[in-house]
Amino acid sequence: MIDAGSRWQLTGSLGRALAVGGVGLALALAIGRPALVVVVAPLVVAGALGLVHKPTHEPMVYASLAHLQLHEGQGTRSRLQATGTEDVEHVARVASPQPYIAVHPHEGALGHLLRPGEGVAPLEISPRRWGRRLVGAEKVALTSAWAGYRWGPTPLVGREMSVLPTLTHFRAGGEAPQPIGLIGAHRSRRDGDGTEFSSIRAFHPGDRLRRINWRVSLKEGSLHVESTRAEEDAAVLLIVDALADYGMSGGVESTDSSLDVTVRAAAALADQYVGGGDRVSLRVLSPGGEYVGYGTGTRHLRRILILLSNVRPGVPRDVAIDQIDFRTTAGTVVVVISPMLSEPLATATVRLARRGLPVIVIDPLPAGTIPSVHPDVDDEVADLAWRMRLLDRSHLLARLASSGCPVVPWNGPRTLEEILRRLARRGQVPRVGGGAG
Amino acid sequence: MIRGAQRSVWVLRLVMVLGPAVALLAGEGAGYTPPTVLIVVVLLGALLAALRPEHLSVTVIMGLVVFWWALQLRSEMPGVVLVVAAGLMATHVAATLLSYGPPSLPLDPQLGLLWVARGALAWLAALVVWVVARVYTGHGTPSLFWLAGLAAVVVAAVVAGSTAPLHGEGRSR
Repeated sequence: MIDAGSRWQLTGSLGRALAVGGVGLALALAIGRPALVVVVAPLVVAGALGLVHKPTHEPMVYASLAHLQLHEGQGTRSRLQATGTEDVEHVARVASPQPYIAVHPHEGALGHLLRPGEGVAPLEISPRRWGRRLVGAEKVALTSAWAGYRWGPTPLVGREMSVLPTLTHFRAGGEAPQPIGLIGAHRSRRDGDGTEFSSIRAFHPGDRLRRINWRVSLKEGSLHVESTRAEEDAAVLLIVDALADYGMSGGVESTDSSLDVTVRAAAALADQYVGGGDRVSLRVLSPGGEYVGYGTGTRHLRRILILLSNVRPGVPRDVAIDQIDFRTTAGTVVVVISPMLSEPLATATVRLARRGLPVIVIDPLPAGTIPSVHPDVDDEVADLAWRMRLLDRSHLLARLASSGCPVVPWNGPRTLEEILRRLARRGQVPRVGGGAG
Repeated sequence: MIRGAQRSVWVLRLVMVLGPAVALLAGEGAGYTPPTVLIVVVLLGALLAALRPEHLSVTVIMGLVVFWWALQLRSEMPGVVLVVAAGLMATHVAATLLSYGPPSLPLDPQLGLLWVARGALAWLAALVVWVVARVYTGHGTPSLFWLAGLAAVVVAAVVAGSTAPLHGEGRSR
């Protein structure tokens, strides 16, 4: 964001003062009008002083951002560092308008006198929506004393930044239906070294002495120990439907499009499960086909968030959705975040559920969503088509529900709590068959 | 240009419209009445100039006012020329302040005060010239002589400014 291509140029103000003042003086002398000297004297003085303050130093300006990665709604400051500003009296900065980038001051225009020893006032920037955003693009103009010369306005290119979806930190109290890992926070069906009480049973060789319940042992006449449930981690696969974006997005704390809800839900769930020690994988259904394998930890969460911020909606061209191998293992909790306006995705979801995996569908379509259509399309036709699609969607959702996939609208990170509890209870009921692939 | 303009920008635009009008109509009471066509042209030009302060129209409008006064005044030195000078200087200052940035840029109050002071200081030059001219009137000095002297002083200031040693001159980029 460095600029060195501009140079000082005469301003219109100086040109005007010299032109009007010079013509006035010339007329006064040529046709003998002494009063004209009085009329144009202030302009001549202003012009002369503008010329006297002709800059002798060439400035260099450099804009830098205080943060290189932000979540939507967060803010940063763009600072302008300038050298060679000995002749600069005034600095003006105007941020280039970018979609979903809010700038303070209003309209992104800032100007003030530059005093010796004082820096240039920063521009405050806040991305309002996740995604790849150009942040910090602006134009800078420096003006010399008496507005005689101007440097710029010169454009400073911004920095393309991955704006991460906003996170609502929440630690779930719900349990995973089929936890299968070694470590984690989910209560296992088997006893082990956890903290949650399971039962009191007779002492076996190998039991820890601190587990002995002396009151029961004295009463029964033999040693008894308190057993606890083991704690395990679960594998969670998040399937993000980015086949299309329905509705208008106004950015964070404004109206949401379906993809806004989808991406923010995926980010919140990834944060929730990774924070709970679970292994989380992400599969995005989009032309990019973004995928993050199973993993855990803060760095893994950051990978997921960056990948989510790069999502661009569209239909994948090289792969059929119902043929995708989602790389699920036994016990994986599958969360499909989709408005279910795609028949192949519904088919793929049902197939996952039939493999015995706990599958939950989160519906991110905001109520009252009206998709944007081409201006040439007749509004009535578009409305009719949309209503037909919604009818198809309701059939698909009903089919999913009857196949054992609960469908819930996204209502914050607590959305899955009750559903997971129900699935866990269902998972504890003995049944025949089932497997994963 | 119009939408999103700050309130301070509208005030400066108003000054840009009123400045040439004041400079043109200042002599109405003293019998210097401009033709209606000229008033209309100046006002329309001032309106355009107010919206485009960097445009040549500002210079043209100010030049028209100066030219009209050149036709009206001969050897007399009425006090109204100080008002004309003030009107033109106010127009110049307002246009200069507007040219610091786009209409969405609010006027920095400190910059505004600085330019009001500069405008007043520059107008003092008109007052000094006017006083000197009034003092010398009737002393038998050829008017062209002192006129040339005053003009020479001002031109000397311009020449001095333009030929002052400039260290950054010719620096390659």
